[in-house]
Amino acid sequence: MWHELPLVIFTIAAQMSVGSFVVLGIIQLVNWNTPQRTLDKVTMPALYAIGPLLVFGLAASTLHLGSPMRAANALLHLQSSWLSREILLGMLFAGSGALFAVLQWFRWGPHRLRQALALITAVLGLTLVYAISQVYSLRTIPAWATYATPLRFYITTFLLGGVAVAAALVVASYVRRRRGGEPDPEARALITRTVQGIAFGGILALGLKFIGQPAYLSYLGTEGSAAAQATLELLNGKYMWLSAAQNILIFAGVVGLGFLLFRMARSRGVSRLLPVVTVAAFVLVLSGEFIGRLLFYATMVRIGI
Amino acid sequence: MEYKQLGFYFDQTLCTGCKACSIACKDKHDLPVGVNWRRVPEYSGGSWLVDESTDTATNTVFTYYTSISCNHCEDPICATVCPTQAMHKGANGIVSVDPDICIGCRYCEMACPYGAPQFNPDKGVMTKCNFCADRIEVGGTPACVASCPSRALDFGEIEDLRARYGDQASIAPLPDASVTQPNLVVTPHAMAEPSGSRNGHIANLEDI
Repeated sequence: MWHELPLVIFTIAAQMSVGSFVVLGIIQLVNWNTPQRTLDKVTMPALYAIGPLLVFGLAASTLHLGSPMRAANALLHLQSSWLSREILLGMLFAGSGALFAVLQWFRWGPHRLRQALALITAVLGLTLVYAISQVYSLRTIPAWATYATPLRFYITTFLLGGVAVAAALVVASYVRRRRGGEPDPEARALITRTVQGIAFGGILALGLKFIGQPAYLSYLGTEGSAAAQATLELLNGKYMWLSAAQNILIFAGVVGLGFLLFRMARSRGVSRLLPVVTVAAFVLVLSGEFIGRLLFYATMVRIGI
Repeated sequence: MEYKQLGFYFDQTLCTGCKACSIACKDKHDLPVGVNWRRVPEYSGGSWLVDESTDTATNTVFTYYTSISCNHCEDPICATVCPTQAMHKGANGIVSVDPDICIGCRYCEMACPYGAPQFNPDKGVMTKCNFCADRIEVGGTPACVASCPSRALDFGEIEDLRARYGDQASIAPLPDASVTQPNLVVTPHAMAEPSGSRNGHIANLEDI
């Protein structure tokens, strides 16, 4: 089950990057009336963490090539191969995101232009996630050639992106405080509000996941082919415990965040639990998604031989 | 020799599962351990029926073999999904890999329902049946066809093969022919199951 590890790392890193970028954009939009200075102070460290993550993912993806030296050939079949399109979109998303980060860092160009670039980057990223889903929607693999594949990947994108951003914001704020930064109640309030929003969004994503999963299993059971049946048997047999572990980890992470949301709604002021719970939620959801992605590849059964 | 579209013919009623075709292919193309362009899955199934009134049991147990390499499909999914165009349909309708372009991503291997494209770790690229193109060029016979002691394999212009042997290729464990439109004709075994059947299984997974 480990032989597709480079692809597990690539798809998770790419989806987490896209999700984080989009969630950061949503934070900027939702808090339009918060001073830009506060917004930037809170969100920028997270933005600069996305670059290394995406580069790490793209680098991991070349590890599964037999001839990585000519990896650039992967762009030669855009007219029919989703794999070519996936690589192109990955590079466009990385390039556009890098340009945005540089402009933002040096405050180059008008604010509106930078915003437009951020929007383009977000659209490229969401298209990249769709392209990844189409790479696996092969007509010879019934377990993958279904709406469940793009749905699954978008849920991972938003869920993982959300908890990653929540953790990044909280950690960055902790670092600022440790370095003796001035207490900034406005920034603090923004972070608390954001983590609450992400926890709420996470619960919605979890709900979607827990509706989608039985629907997917029943699709496998009724699709009719021996291949779909074999995938179902792997999920319910050999990989039953990993399947359960995946759900428990993600559930624990999201519900942990939700618990925090509930606590904070009752007691005004920032809970001391905020950093611990947020980072733990990220680690739990990441582990769950990692196991889920390992299983995605391990339960692949093709029609034929 | 020039052909419009080459294809293989295989007679399940004659095959004994001896795998001479696999070995002839391996020898001809000098394939390393683990790379087998032609393979012979053994498809088995069936059960016992007990008749209480006569206290007897009869079986419906079956096993049959299918020698399979690449079918040089009309709609080759390997070439469609290949990100480099290294996998392509060329002279005589043969689907082959250009080893100077292939990056060894193994996506064709993931997509092909016949297991035809195979990764060669020494070369870092995909390899597959090339219909013994060098032999075809001089009017010869592919190594697998020439080696079969039961004469279960044949090759030729697919139109001729279909005129002679019919157009069946949707036999388990092979996928339905509509998926990639293989240039393959199969004469089914008496107990043959249709593609996608859940009544049997490949009994020699370690061989293929």
